[in-house]
Amino acid sequence: MSEQPSLELAPSTQVTAEDGTEAPQPRATRRGSQPTAPSRGAEEGKAPQLLSRRSSVLSTLLGPPGSRRSSLGAAPGGKRPSVGPWLLHSRVSFTGLPLFQPIPETHLENTYRMRPEEGCRFNAGRVQRVLEGALAGVLGGTAYSPQGSTVLVQSLAELLRSRAKEVVPPRYKLVCHVLLGQQGQQSMLVASRALWDPESDSFASASFFNASLFAVATVHGVYFE
Amino acid sequence: TSLIRVVQFPLQQHVKAKLEKAVIENKGDVLVFSLCIESVLGKADYNHNKVNQWTAAIVEQSLTHLVKLGKTYKYIVTCAVMQRSGAGLHTASSCFWDTTTDGTCTVRWENRTMNCIVNVFAVAIIL
Repeated sequence: MSEQPSLELAPSTQVTAEDGTEAPQPRATRRGSQPTAPSRGAEEGKAPQLLSRRSSVLSTLLGPPGSRRSSLGAAPGGKRPSVGPWLLHSRVSFTGLPLFQPIPETHLENTYRMRPEEGCRFNAGRVQRVLEGALAGVLGGTAYSPQGSTVLVQSLAELLRSRAKEVVPPRYKLVCHVLLGQQGQQSMLVASRALWDPESDSFASASFFNASLFAVATVHGVYFE
Repeated sequence: TSLIRVVQFPLQQHVKAKLEKAVIENKGDVLVFSLCIESVLGKADYNHNKVNQWTAAIVEQSLTHLVKLGKTYKYIVTCAVMQRSGAGLHTASSCFWDTTTDGTCTVRWENRTMNCIVNVFAVAIIL
């Protein structure tokens, strides 16, 4: 009867954080050469002593657990292109497999800002007006339908989040929550409580009623220290 | 002698945050939140006068439990209690945050006369 898809949009998080926000630290994707263990052992006599040290540093650096990608990518039969790596990649290990340069992890500098600037707070009134306008615009003529409402509520959540993002100052993380239900004879209460810094964080909510449906939307804005 | 130099790096902040996120989304927490709801709503029937204090109690207990975890997170807990009358309900949420460190947890609970949905959003603070 009730569904709860909560969407975490990884690509949009990276993309929309260009407006001066201190972007959430990009994930470090590192690709080590696939046979690190044997290459380390067998490379003693070879020139790349430098190489073995680099590969050992790579393998002991902590990273997201379980995200080591095979340097070959998807090669189901295990077929190695015979000339491919030499043409495509500048560095090739002794086994003929391409060696990728380690992608440097970008560490953003500390801005030492723990609170939003003056006048740059989460403006609850403004966000509420935006929410009301968006809800009325989308749901104005819509009727409730069990199948259609699933998609409708997801797209509504994304839409409201993007609308709220436009009016909210940078360095704010947003959580947008939408409830859409059939208008019946039932009664309902929605409550929320948060543990945050009340000076910088706030929320806004709006509701919309129709003959056949009702919708409640809340947007919480949390300052990202 | 080995040519391998094993270098130990201290756990960096963002790595720690990722580990903590895994704890938040651990399914074990779902059980605790359902117990919170159960203790408040239990076998009661939907009562329009009491629903205010019920939701307040559920949200407060959930937040207390989260605080006891002792992590550097800001939390948002929402609770929706609805009378069961055959009407349909859909909920969705969309979040703009760092997916590597922030997470969410949802608990659904119901009894004969009402439905309860509790959402917990955890937003990381980088110290």
